[in-house]
Amino acid sequence: MEVEDLTKHYGAVRALDGVSLQTAPGEIFGLLGHNGAGKSTMIRILTGRAKPTSGRARVLGHDVPRDLEAIRGQINLVAETPNVYQRATAKENLELFCTLYGLPKKRGAEALEQVRLSSVAGRKVKTFSTGMRQRLLLARALLNSPRVLFLDEPTRGLDPRSARDLRETVTALAAGGSTIFLTTHDMNEADELCQRVAFLAEGKLVALDTPRALKLSLASTAPAVDVVLDDGSDIRLKLDEPQDTARLQELIAARTVRSMHSLEPTLADVFIHLAGRSLEDDRADEANQW
Amino acid sequence: MVNLRRILAILVKDLRDTGRDGRIIVLLLLPIGMAVFYNSTFADPKELPTTDVAIVDSGGHGVARELRAAAGKSVKVHLRQTRDAASARRLVAANDVDFAVVVAPTVREGSAPAEVLVAEDASPTAQSVIALVPDALTRAAGHEPPAQTQVRAVAAAGSQPYGIDEPRAVTVLLVIVLHIVFVAMMVVPIQTAEELETGTFGALRLAASGPEILAAKASAGFIYGLGGVGLIVVLTNLDVHDPALFFGAAFGLIASLVAFGLLMGLLWPNSNSINTYASFLLVPLVGLAGAVLFVQSGILVTILDVLPFSQATKLLADGLSAQTPFHAGVGSWAVVAAWSLVGYVILARIASRREI
Repeated sequence: MEVEDLTKHYGAVRALDGVSLQTAPGEIFGLLGHNGAGKSTMIRILTGRAKPTSGRARVLGHDVPRDLEAIRGQINLVAETPNVYQRATAKENLELFCTLYGLPKKRGAEALEQVRLSSVAGRKVKTFSTGMRQRLLLARALLNSPRVLFLDEPTRGLDPRSARDLRETVTALAAGGSTIFLTTHDMNEADELCQRVAFLAEGKLVALDTPRALKLSLASTAPAVDVVLDDGSDIRLKLDEPQDTARLQELIAARTVRSMHSLEPTLADVFIHLAGRSLEDDRADEANQW
Repeated sequence: MVNLRRILAILVKDLRDTGRDGRIIVLLLLPIGMAVFYNSTFADPKELPTTDVAIVDSGGHGVARELRAAAGKSVKVHLRQTRDAASARRLVAANDVDFAVVVAPTVREGSAPAEVLVAEDASPTAQSVIALVPDALTRAAGHEPPAQTQVRAVAAAGSQPYGIDEPRAVTVLLVIVLHIVFVAMMVVPIQTAEELETGTFGALRLAASGPEILAAKASAGFIYGLGGVGLIVVLTNLDVHDPALFFGAAFGLIASLVAFGLLMGLLWPNSNSINTYASFLLVPLVGLAGAVLFVQSGILVTILDVLPFSQATKLLADGLSAQTPFHAGVGSWAVVAAWSLVGYVILARIASRREI
């Protein structure tokens, strides 16, 4: 995928403002940002469902949305909302999209097997739990074995096991050469899954690099460690302070250390540094709205 | 490039989903139920004259069928198949039938020999049907009669200004318009709005183009609309004089309204609010459609002349009644076509602006 100076305006609102980025085949690419930062707009443009105001977006060598028909069968999306037909069964949901993609209907059964939903294939989706619906979304997205898969907050609302399964599936898909374009609020997930991440803030790209490089870029202060002792107490020791390093050596020699964790900047720290507030604030805002 | 396979797949999904959505089922069945109810409530004042006929046709030449066809819709012919001439004679003598036709078992060249047994006090209706027996026998023998006789009922002068002023026909006609309006401006928008509301429209957009999705929704509207009209005609035994004109008018009305229904679906905030509030908008529209049956002068006529509901109602009435009460022609079709065109142009602009 290739995005060049992409801009999208909705009236006076600049949802995207001169964004440029590229992804490689087999790469898992993360796009992070607050609500309203432009992540969903970016996905809408890259999946051919919105026209850029200016700039250019190319997917698999084709301009979108102009040449969407050429790549329609090679891209897919796991949306943030469980946009499946609630009154239909899981099997019917997938068979519809098999027909739309010109695939044999047995492909739907295979995809259900892949996400461990075969046993409930004949059940209406409205009886499914959030996690099951999310897995059905993934099954639908896997139907056409996409060369580019977009995931919009894919693990939101998932139980830990389902989230882990989804990450494994995504990693396997990328290993097979598919490009994964992921948006998420979960910094740990982005750190764990993505080879590169980009930060969007108010429609602008404020950073783009590997998670490691981004974290190192913020490591201007000396490293520190959190030490938990056998008696349950914990202390933080800075490794550029001579007395702290001496104390650490004493504790290790006395064999009283139960655990020790190095403190280094996280992606969340990088994001707060660049965007001014954490992504968790978005969740708090959403919770307050309820 | 529009892909028919994808349109068909979405259409089949919509038709299947219809049977699972209580709101849509009610909207589709309500007018049909109303039509059946009003049809049975308002007795048809035009009771046809009747005659009872016994038929002895042991050779199975189809004389009964030909006789009923010859009588057409001007006389109700009650036929009784009888075993032999003696039984037929007994029925006539007992005044159980007005007359009997006894057909010879074998057909001679050019005609089926027969005997007609008539009661002495046979009614004029019976006698008029007896006059049709030779033609029916000739046809039953596989030949055309020397002269074609067509029997038609003629309404009494001054009794029917529009030819469809019987409460039954008027009510069923208006219920048909109501059904079409419900389909085009409630069922279609509810199904469209729900797709947008739940995000499934976006999912479909990945696999199909916006025009393909909208074409499938419009096609579902045509199927519900024309299917419902057909069902109402059958269930109410509505005597449609010109089926081509009648169903063509129904098609035209659906075509002119479906685009606006799709627009409602794209613009209305959610499907439940359409279900709750749209009927307040639609009832006046059906009122405007019905007004053409009663209003003959004044400014309202000018207004009605440019509306698709009223013009389509005129065309439907012309198709329904043998008297073609409105003689609605090219002008009415032009109004319906113009509204269709305007609807689809606006739909295309809005859909493009909203990136659908």
